[in-house]
Amino acid sequence: MATIAATSLNFGTQRAVITSEARPVRLAGPVRLNNPWYLCSRTTNRMATVRPVRATPEGVISDKVEKSIKDAEETCAGDPASGECVAAWDEVEELSAAASHARDKKKDSDPLEEYCKDNPETNECRTYDN
Amino acid sequence: MAAVSTIYSTQALNSTHFLTSSPSSSTSKQVFFYRRHQSQTNRRFNTIITCAAQQTVVIGLAADSGCGKSTFMRRLTSVFGGAAEPPKGGNPDSNTLISDMTTVICLDDYHSLDRTGRKEKGVTALDPRANDFDLMYEQVKALKSGIAVEKPIYNHVTGLLDAPELIQPPKILVIEGLHPMFDERVRELLDFSIYLDISNEVKFAWKIQRDMAERGHSLESIKASIEARKPDFDAFIDPQKQYADAVIEVLPTQLIPDDNEGKVLRVRLIMKEGVKYFSPVYLFDEGSTISWIPCGRKLTCSYPGIKFNYEPDTYFDHEVSVLEMDGQFDRLDELIYVESHLSNLSTKFYGEVTQQMLKHADFPGSNNGTGLFQTIVGLKIRDLYEQLIANRATVPAEAAKA
Repeated sequence: MATIAATSLNFGTQRAVITSEARPVRLAGPVRLNNPWYLCSRTTNRMATVRPVRATPEGVISDKVEKSIKDAEETCAGDPASGECVAAWDEVEELSAAASHARDKKKDSDPLEEYCKDNPETNECRTYDN
Repeated sequence: MAAVSTIYSTQALNSTHFLTSSPSSSTSKQVFFYRRHQSQTNRRFNTIITCAAQQTVVIGLAADSGCGKSTFMRRLTSVFGGAAEPPKGGNPDSNTLISDMTTVICLDDYHSLDRTGRKEKGVTALDPRANDFDLMYEQVKALKSGIAVEKPIYNHVTGLLDAPELIQPPKILVIEGLHPMFDERVRELLDFSIYLDISNEVKFAWKIQRDMAERGHSLESIKASIEARKPDFDAFIDPQKQYADAVIEVLPTQLIPDDNEGKVLRVRLIMKEGVKYFSPVYLFDEGSTISWIPCGRKLTCSYPGIKFNYEPDTYFDHEVSVLEMDGQFDRLDELIYVESHLSNLSTKFYGEVTQQMLKHADFPGSNNGTGLFQTIVGLKIRDLYEQLIANRATVPAEAAKA
């Protein structure tokens, strides 16, 4: 939204000073238009800064699944009814579920949407609501 | 979040007025109390103002892993509007989903033992010894009363307990996991509970579908995994279905003889009678036994068709109504035809169930009873929520009038 500041009714000079150009007026403060549930957890949760920002890639989980299946088979070769064997297969189940969720998430995700979620102020991600 | 404030006075009320304003757009009501100023200025009125934040409605959802809980959650949050997403800016491996009205908490976050701990002790995640029910109870109680909590995060990928995240009390809190109804205190806090009961054959078929794409898995390993977990599952998870207000039971179809593909499903929605704010769905006549095949002259279906059953029954010594669907939907008009013959669906407009099913046509189960009954349960929960909120808003107003 360009604002044209004409200083006075001075038609002689015909100079309109455009205070801001094609890009819209920058909103002060964090943009909350699309994220009404955005909590200030980033500022209050100090521990969160310790964690890596990117989620674990899918190949890592697949490797874990494969490894856990081998472990479970080894553990159960000894004693099929023991708690360790059961716990090992439970771990396989848990990792398989995590792998399947990761696959689903990857299927849904759109690279542009992902980028814009984290960087809403860049040129590609501006939304013009009026 | 609206706050319902009530103003009490320790002295006799000479004149009190209250006005209620209910803005049409918001779902919450705001009740204002004020007293006309008295002429006796030397009399001190001690007023105690207590504000209770809007009470959260708590829903519990129980199922084994890999049994469609997340699909159910997405349908449920969609009924209320909006998409549920993990909390922004937090741990990317968080299990929590937040939308405008609902927050979904995965009960795996209350594991007391992480993966290595469980391996050492030889205990599965299904075992109550691996879960901290005290913490679960305290935090659900806090969220229900409108207090934010720092909930731990169980990272499914690493198998470790991560740093806690802050959860604000939502309007609707859904706790989903293996043990929502296991602990009696947590059970008391639930306003509505659902159990997804998947039969062994169907569970096997679904897990094969899920895991065969994973390298390292074979048919034997999938089978071994299910068998190994079965004793713990039968001992700890399965008994929870007697406490559920609604059970969605998924069985292999009876329409195709000797079917072992598990593609066509027979789904039963078992609804407990006498639950407050919950009126079971019925077919044609409440309390009678009906068997209905909609395919005929008015509606043509492809093989194997659709068959409905409705009957009253007893389930674990409770009176229940059972609505059953066997078969698959192929076309939109089958779905709308079926919807127009079901009663007590709690829809806000004609065709709402069909619309919700179509909105998520890519979700698993969208063409059979699983999707249909999950959608219907979602609408029932919305209805329950609205009735509960309306009831809670009128109670303080009446107390003040007296």
